[in-house]
Amino acid sequence: MGSQKRIAKELAELVETPPEGITVELADESNLYEWTVHMEGPDGSPYHVQRKIPGEALLPTGYPFKPPAVSFATKIYHPNVTTDEKGSMCLGMLRPDEWKPSSKISAVLQFARQLLAEPMPDDAVEGRIAEQYKNDRKRFEEIARDWTRQYATS
Amino acid sequence: MADNGDRMFCHACGGVWLRNDSGLTCPHCESDFTEIIEIPPENPPPERADEPRTPPNMNPWADHDPWAREGTPDSPGFGFMGGGSPGFAQRTYRSPDGRFTFSSTTFGGGYSPRQEAAHADPTVPMMVQSLDTIFNGLADTYRPLRRQDGKTTILLSQMSFQALTDYVLAMLAGRRPGAPPVENLAELMGAFRADYGPRPRGGRPGARTMIGPNPLSILSALLNLDRTGDAVYSQEELDRVISQLIDQNAHGGAPPPAAGTAIRSLPKKKVDQEMLGTDGKAECSICMDAVELGTEVTVLPCTHWFHYNCIEAWLSQHNTCPHCRRSINSTGGAGEGTRESPVVIQDSPDRRTSTGQGPSSGLTPRSGRSSSSGTRSSPSQSRESRGSRDSGSRRASRGEGHHGGFTSWVWSRLGGGG
Repeated sequence: MGSQKRIAKELAELVETPPEGITVELADESNLYEWTVHMEGPDGSPYHVQRKIPGEALLPTGYPFKPPAVSFATKIYHPNVTTDEKGSMCLGMLRPDEWKPSSKISAVLQFARQLLAEPMPDDAVEGRIAEQYKNDRKRFEEIARDWTRQYATS
Repeated sequence: MADNGDRMFCHACGGVWLRNDSGLTCPHCESDFTEIIEIPPENPPPERADEPRTPPNMNPWADHDPWAREGTPDSPGFGFMGGGSPGFAQRTYRSPDGRFTFSSTTFGGGYSPRQEAAHADPTVPMMVQSLDTIFNGLADTYRPLRRQDGKTTILLSQMSFQALTDYVLAMLAGRRPGAPPVENLAELMGAFRADYGPRPRGGRPGARTMIGPNPLSILSALLNLDRTGDAVYSQEELDRVISQLIDQNAHGGAPPPAAGTAIRSLPKKKVDQEMLGTDGKAECSICMDAVELGTEVTVLPCTHWFHYNCIEAWLSQHNTCPHCRRSINSTGGAGEGTRESPVVIQDSPDRRTSTGQGPSSGLTPRSGRSSSSGTRSSPSQSRESRGSRDSGSRRASRGEGHHGGFTSWVWSRLGGGG
């Protein structure tokens, strides 16, 4: 499959020259479509802790014609990340109508990390968190930091 | 009203039912584009109870000729709203994710809310009860009722009270062949309810399935007789307008597939030095394989090029360039632009990072559950602008995504969500 060739290529690039603060590996060596991602919380953000935040990138079999899905394995308090057990990060570029096959997973992950540093409350999935982010930044950062410490480091 | 007595309205087919009986999905067309009809609790208590006739003071037509108003649309008391005590109906539209709510309140004579508590029978949909009053009013105007022979064909646009009466009578005739003409309107309405309302338990000999126009549509058409210009005076009409707007913006999904002929007819050319760019290297951005000089590639109207096999796989899903999202139908289709005046795909205002450097350029985080037309590409927006022209044909293709579309519409009115 052409998609496997491209995925292998992207994976090789990511492993060889990982973007800042991001490491990827296959969750299962025999499955190209499930990647384990470790993301370092950007400096100065409430997500910056000693350990990298674990997550995953799931590639559909239709990749690159269908978008991958990015999620965090631990709970993240963030306007653009669902607080359910899935921890899905909602990126516009990953929506079916926004996705371009020319987007690389590397770009997706780097953008996801950028989003940790700069949430986009106007495109939030967690409206309440977005409101708090806009109106009470201090409290938002406290909770986000608490969550990160509590969940990402245990 | 009891919690479980909610009335439901289907925006797809206009049907109404009780939530008790069929839940939230329309039993008529199985659409889930439905709404719980909220009725304000402060309706005046009913004056009519079990009487078969509407008391004169409750009958909007007792001393009223419906055709007398034809030339005076501005007369106070719009149509059926004119008869009762004032009331209001409030509707709430909510996007599927609950993030967006749109409420509307319509003031009127309370032609329907007044009926709310009028009947102890909770199984009869409210609108049917409203019809009851209307037909009672008709009885006062056209007595005695007589049935016209032969089939009754009803064109909504030419709807008249007489036609409505005939329609109901024809239904009755179908139910009880050979029955004498209906003399008692209460009987008529009872039969009508039996046709329209929930099936009686155990079945009933001779019961038939109602065919023909939805009586509520007929009622709606009747109510719209009083429409003046762009203003709307009834909840039904407002719903219709909103439904239309939703239809016009129901394109929250990805672009449709391209035609096979269109894909095959795309020009091909061999990669030349110019296409390789300054560093002398290039790759197909779909398979990410390097492309050598002389390799045959397929060129889209936007000048982006790909391996034929790669672009075919994409175009058979979406008819836009995978790189810049411009439609490949460069010369066809309204709103898609032409070679001479191409549609320029611009980043939307809320793509804050589009001017930034680095990997985040042009990428926007976006809720997977909301949709904002602010980031739509131009073809979508063009579709919106010409939606009013072909909305009629779209009405048949309702389904998922309307709420999102409606949300988009509101978003765009609110400034594109930026």
